[in-house]
Amino acid sequence: MLTRLLRRLSRIPTVVRRATVVPFLVRCGIALCGILALVVSWPGELLASQFVGLLVLFVLWPAFAPRGRGATFAALVVVGGWLLDTAGYDSRVALWRVIAIATLLYLGHTLTALAAVLPYDAVVNLDVPGLWLGRALIVVLISAVLTVLALGLTRDLGGEAFQVATLVGLAAATGVTILLVRLTRRT
Amino acid sequence: MTEPIAPGWAPTRALGRSVLLTGLLLLLGVALGRVDLVLLAAPFAIGAALNLRRTPQSVPEVTITADAAHLVEGGAVQAGLTVANPEAIGYDLVVVRTKTSPWLRLEHADRPFAITVPSDGWAAIDLPGEARRWGRQDVGPAAARAAACGGLLTCRPVVTPAHGVRVYPVTEPFKATESMPAAAGLVGAHRSRRLGEGGELAGVRQFAPGDRLRRIDWRVSLRTRDLHVASTLSDRDAEVLILLDLLGEVGLSGGVEGSASVLDTTVRAAAAIAEHYLHRGDRVSVLEYGAGGRRLRAGSGRKQYLTVLEWLLDVRADPVDEEYEPVLGAHHISTSALVVVLTPLIDPRSADMLAKLTQAGRYTVAVDTLPEDAAPPVRNQWSPLATRLWRIERENVLGRLREHGVPVVAWAGAGSLDLVLRDVARMASAPRGR
Repeated sequence: MLTRLLRRLSRIPTVVRRATVVPFLVRCGIALCGILALVVSWPGELLASQFVGLLVLFVLWPAFAPRGRGATFAALVVVGGWLLDTAGYDSRVALWRVIAIATLLYLGHTLTALAAVLPYDAVVNLDVPGLWLGRALIVVLISAVLTVLALGLTRDLGGEAFQVATLVGLAAATGVTILLVRLTRRT
Repeated sequence: MTEPIAPGWAPTRALGRSVLLTGLLLLLGVALGRVDLVLLAAPFAIGAALNLRRTPQSVPEVTITADAAHLVEGGAVQAGLTVANPEAIGYDLVVVRTKTSPWLRLEHADRPFAITVPSDGWAAIDLPGEARRWGRQDVGPAAARAAACGGLLTCRPVVTPAHGVRVYPVTEPFKATESMPAAAGLVGAHRSRRLGEGGELAGVRQFAPGDRLRRIDWRVSLRTRDLHVASTLSDRDAEVLILLDLLGEVGLSGGVEGSASVLDTTVRAAAAIAEHYLHRGDRVSVLEYGAGGRRLRAGSGRKQYLTVLEWLLDVRADPVDEEYEPVLGAHHISTSALVVVLTPLIDPRSADMLAKLTQAGRYTVAVDTLPEDAAPPVRNQWSPLATRLWRIERENVLGRLREHGVPVVAWAGAGSLDLVLRDVARMASAPRGR
C-alpha cells in the first residue's frame, strides 16, 4: 500500500511534464462541478464550519482519480448535503437549486466518465470534448424541462408530492429494470 | 430499444454509477415522498436511456500505414494510423497508442491520441517524422480502445501488429581508383595486367599474324616503314567479397547525424563499397563473420546493389562463444576475389581469420571500423589504465597483421582503400609461391 503510494507520488513530476491541456481542463471541469454542487446543496452553516475541508476533499477526489469510486462518493456527499439542508435545516425545495444540483451532478458524472477513458497526456481532437458536452447538455436540458414540469405539477395538485414521487419513481424504476435486463442479456 | 452488450464491450464504472445513483435516489424519493430526489435522478436515467438506446456490436479496426518508398537514413517518413468504425453508431472516443522504433522520430508518437470516429467511417492520424538509423524499423504495434454510449461502454483494446519500415543505410561517398589486384572475368571496367582487347594502351609492337587490321597504328607504321599495331590491356571485371565481422558491437549509435557504432560503420561502409564496385560492373558478394554466417552470392548490376542493401538491413551483432570459432575457411572464398574485411579487430579470432586468409593467398584488405573514441566503460580508478593497455595491445595486433601482409586501414570514406589496394595489387603481380 505504502509502496504503491510512494510510486504514485514519484510519478507526479512526469505526469506534470507530460500532461496536455484538454484532459487537464476536463479534470478542472469535474472539480468545478463538484465544488459548485457542494455549495448549492449543503447548508451554509456547515459550509462555513471546519468540515468544509473534508467535504471539498471528497468532491475533488474524482478529479484526481476519475477511474475510481470517487465520483460516486462525491455524488452521495452532495445528495446527503441536500437531504440535510432540506430535512434537517428546513430549507425550502427551490426549483433553481434542484435544477442546479441535478445539472452539476450529471455534468460531474459525465466529465468523470470522459476523464476515465481519456489519458492525461493524450493529444485530443477538440471535437471529442465538444460532442461529449453537447450530448450532456441535451440530457441536462431534458431533465431541466422535466423538473420544471414535475415541480409545477406538484404545486398544481396542491402539494401531493408523495403521490407524484411514487408514480414517477415507480415508472423510472420500471424503466431502469428493463434497461438492466436487456443490458445483461448476452447474444 | 436497447440491445444487449456485444462481446468485446464492457460496461464502465460510469454505467454502474448511473444505475446506483438512479436506483438510490428513486428509492429515497419514493420512501421519503420527495419528488425533488426523483428529479435529481432524472438526468442519470435519461442520460443512460439516451446513450444506451443503441449499443455497438463490433470493435474498431486499426491499420498502420508507412512509406514504402526507398527510404534512406535521415529521410522523411510519413507514417499514419487509421481507425475504422464498421458500426452504425459512432464511437464517442477512440484512444489510439502506438509504439515506434527508437530510430524513427515520429511527431507525438509517444503520446496517446484521442479521436472520434463517425459511424461507418474512419479517422486518420498522421505521424510525420524522420528515420534516424538504418535497419528494419517498426511502427507499431498499435492499440486502440473505444468508448461509446457516452462513456458507459468501452471495448477491449484492439491490437494491430507492427508495420516494418525499411530504412537503407546512407552510403558514404567512396571511390577507389586503384586497379583491382586480380580482375578475373571476361568483361568489365578494370584495366588488367594482361594484353588483350581493351581501351588502355599497353604499347606499340610489330604486326604479327592474327592481329586485327583496325589495330594497325598507321602513324608509327609510316614512320618506321613497317606495320605496327597498338597493343592494349584487356578490360576485366572482378569479384569483391565484403566480409562483415559481427562478433561484437562497440560504441553507441547516435543515428545518422550522431556517433557511429561499429555496426553503423560496417553497414554504411559495406553499402558504399558495394555501390562503388557494382557501379563499375564488378561482381560483389557479402558474407557475415559471426554465428549466423549469412552469405549473399556474387552478382552484378543495380539489382545486386538493391539486394545488398536489403541484405544489410538484417545485419545484427552476432557473437559466438569464445571457445568456438566461426566457420569460415579460405576455400569458401574465390582465389581471385578481393576480400574487404570490415572489422573492429577487438576479437582475437578476427585477427586470426585475417592472417589465415592472407596466408591462403587471398587478396585481403582489412578496414578498421572501431570508433576513435571507443573505450570500455569506466568502472573504477583502474579503468583508464586498462583502456590504455588494451589500446596498446590492439596496436600491436594491427602491427603484427601488417607484418603478415594484411593491410589495415581505417574507414574514412572516399579514397579509403586506394593506398592499400595499390599495395595489394603490387603483391598480386608478384609470383605466387605459397
